[in-house]
Amino acid sequence: MTPAPRGTARFRTVLARVLLVQVVTLLLLWLLQTRYTG
Amino acid sequence: MHPVNWVIVIAYLAYVVVDGVRRAKGTDRIEGYFLASRSLPWWVVGLSVMATQLSAVTLIGTTGQGATDGMRFVQFYLGLPIAMVILGVTLVPFLHGAKVFTAYEYLERRFDAKTRSLTSFLFLLSRGMSAGTILAAPGVVFSAVFGWDLTWSVLLIGVPTVVYTMIGGVQAVAWVDVKQMVLIVAALLAIVVVLLVQMPVSPDDALRIAGATGRLQVFDFSFDISETYTFWSGLIGGTFLMLSYFGTDQSQVQRYLTARSVEEAKTSLLMSAYWKIPLQALVLLVGVLVFVYYIFQPAPLLFNPAHESQVRAQEPVAYEALESRYSETLQIRRTAADAVATARDAGSTTAAAAAIDAFRATERQARGVREEALTLAERVTGESPRDVNYVIPRFVLDALPIGLAGVFIAAVMAAAMSSVAAELNSLSTASVIDFYRRWFRPQGSDAHYLFVSKLATGLWGLFACVVAVYAASLGSLIEVVNRFGSFFYGSILGVFLLAMVPGSRAIGAFVGLLAGMAAVATVTFGAPSVSFLWHNVIGAVTVLIVGALLSRGRTPTAERST
Repeated sequence: MTPAPRGTARFRTVLARVLLVQVVTLLLLWLLQTRYTG
Repeated sequence: MHPVNWVIVIAYLAYVVVDGVRRAKGTDRIEGYFLASRSLPWWVVGLSVMATQLSAVTLIGTTGQGATDGMRFVQFYLGLPIAMVILGVTLVPFLHGAKVFTAYEYLERRFDAKTRSLTSFLFLLSRGMSAGTILAAPGVVFSAVFGWDLTWSVLLIGVPTVVYTMIGGVQAVAWVDVKQMVLIVAALLAIVVVLLVQMPVSPDDALRIAGATGRLQVFDFSFDISETYTFWSGLIGGTFLMLSYFGTDQSQVQRYLTARSVEEAKTSLLMSAYWKIPLQALVLLVGVLVFVYYIFQPAPLLFNPAHESQVRAQEPVAYEALESRYSETLQIRRTAADAVATARDAGSTTAAAAAIDAFRATERQARGVREEALTLAERVTGESPRDVNYVIPRFVLDALPIGLAGVFIAAVMAAAMSSVAAELNSLSTASVIDFYRRWFRPQGSDAHYLFVSKLATGLWGLFACVVAVYAASLGSLIEVVNRFGSFFYGSILGVFLLAMVPGSRAIGAFVGLLAGMAAVATVTFGAPSVSFLWHNVIGAVTVLIVGALLSRGRTPTAERST
C-alpha cells in the first residue's frame, strides 16, 4: 500500500483531533446543563 | 473615557496601521496583493478565517445575548465543524486547485460567464452593505455609551482599516487578523478573571444562580423549524449556512486561497472547526457571568444610556417610579440569590430547591419591571428598545479596571476591523477580477490592475463608511438588502454543489440559481415562521433538483458564453 502524502496524513490527524475536541466540548456543555439547570 | 484607556486604544490603532503597512512588501503584483502569492502558513490562514467571522457584533451582541438569554445560542454553531470537514474534502481542493482569484471565477470555467457574473454581483451587493453595517454596529454602541459622535466613532475604526487594507492587501489583512484574534481572546479571558474575582459568591454558586434562571440550558432537542436555536436547526440548517458562508462567500474563500498548498488550506479550515464552539461558549459564558454580576451590583434599568437619558427627560415621573420599583425588586432578588448559595452550602436539598424557586420568582418580577421600562423607552424614542448590545459596554465602564476597559474597547474595534478588512479586500477582488478585468479591460498590465485594485479597496472603504454613518436612516434599506441576501446564500451554495455533479450544465446552474432564490422568497413570505437557518437548505436543494433536471438527457458540453 502506498503511504499517504505528508499533507494528507496531517489532515487526517487534525481531523481526528477536531472530532475529539467537539465531543469533549459538547460533553462539557451537557454536564454544565445537567449540573446547574434544575 | 479615562485617558489611560484612550492611550491604549490609540496606541493599538496606530500599531495596527504600522504593522499592516509593513506587510505591503511583496504585494507589488496582483497575485501578491489579493492572494499573498499563495504563500501563507495554515495557522495564519486559520486565525484569519476565525477573525473574519468574529465581528464586533459577535463580541458585543453575543456576550449580551449570553447575559439576557443564556447559552442556547451556541447551538447555532453545531454545524460548523461538519461544514468545515465537508469543505475540506470537496470545495477547498476544487477552488485552491483551480488557481482562481475568486470563487465565482471557477463557476465560469465550469458553467458560463453569466452564472459567474450573477453570483459575483450578488456577493458585491450583500457584502458591500454588510461592510457598512459591521462598521456601524460598534460605532452606534460607542456613540451611545461613551457619548462619542457617530461619524467620529465610525471613522476611528474605518480609516485605519481602509489604510492598511488598501496599502498592504491580503497579507496585511491576514497578519493583522492574527494579532487581533490574540487580543480578542486575551480580553475575553481577562474579563472572566475580573468577573470571578469581583463576584461575592464562588464560581460554583454563580453558575447555580445562572442555572436557576435557565441561562445554562444549552441544548433544545425539539424539532421545530420555527425555532432558530435548537439542536436540529443548528446541526442541519447550521451546516448548510456554514457551507454557504465558508464555501462560497468570497470574504472567506479568499482567506484559504492564500494558503501555500491545498493541504494547508484544508487544515486552516479545521482550525475553526476546532475552536469555534469552545470560543463561542466562552463568549456566551462571559455574558452569563455578567448577568450574575449584576445580581450583586446595582444594575441599570435601561442599558442604553441614550435611551435612558431621553426617557428620564421626557417621562421623569414614570421613569423614577419604575426605577424605585426595580431597585426594591433587585434588593429582594439579591437576598434570594444569597439564599440559593447559603442553602446549598448548608447541604439541604429541600431548602436548596425552595431557595431556587424563590429566586426564580424574584427574577420574574425584575424582568417584568424591565419590560415595562423597555416599552416606555420604545414609546418615547420611537426606536427598538432592545438593549442587548449595550449590556457589555455598560459592564466594561462600570466594572473593569482602568486599562482593561481600554483593552476591551480595542478588542471590539479589532473584531470590527478584521471583519471589515476581509470584506473590503474581497469586494475589491470580486470587482476587479470578475467585472473590470473580465468585461472592461482583459489585457491590462499587472501594474494597472494593482493600481485599480487599491483604488477599488479605497472606494469600497469609503462606501462602507458612508453606509455606516447613515445606517440609522438607511435602516429599512439595509434590512431589505440583508433579507435579499438570505434569499441567495443557500442558492449559491447549490450552484457550487451542482458544479461537482458530473454532467450538470450551465443552463441548469443559471436557472437553478433563479429557482432557488424564488423558492426561498416564497418560503420567506409564504411561511414567515420558518427559521432563516432552513432557508439555506431550501435554496441549495432547489438548485440541485432544478439544475439536475435541466441537465438530464443532454450531453455535457463546454457552454462558455464569452
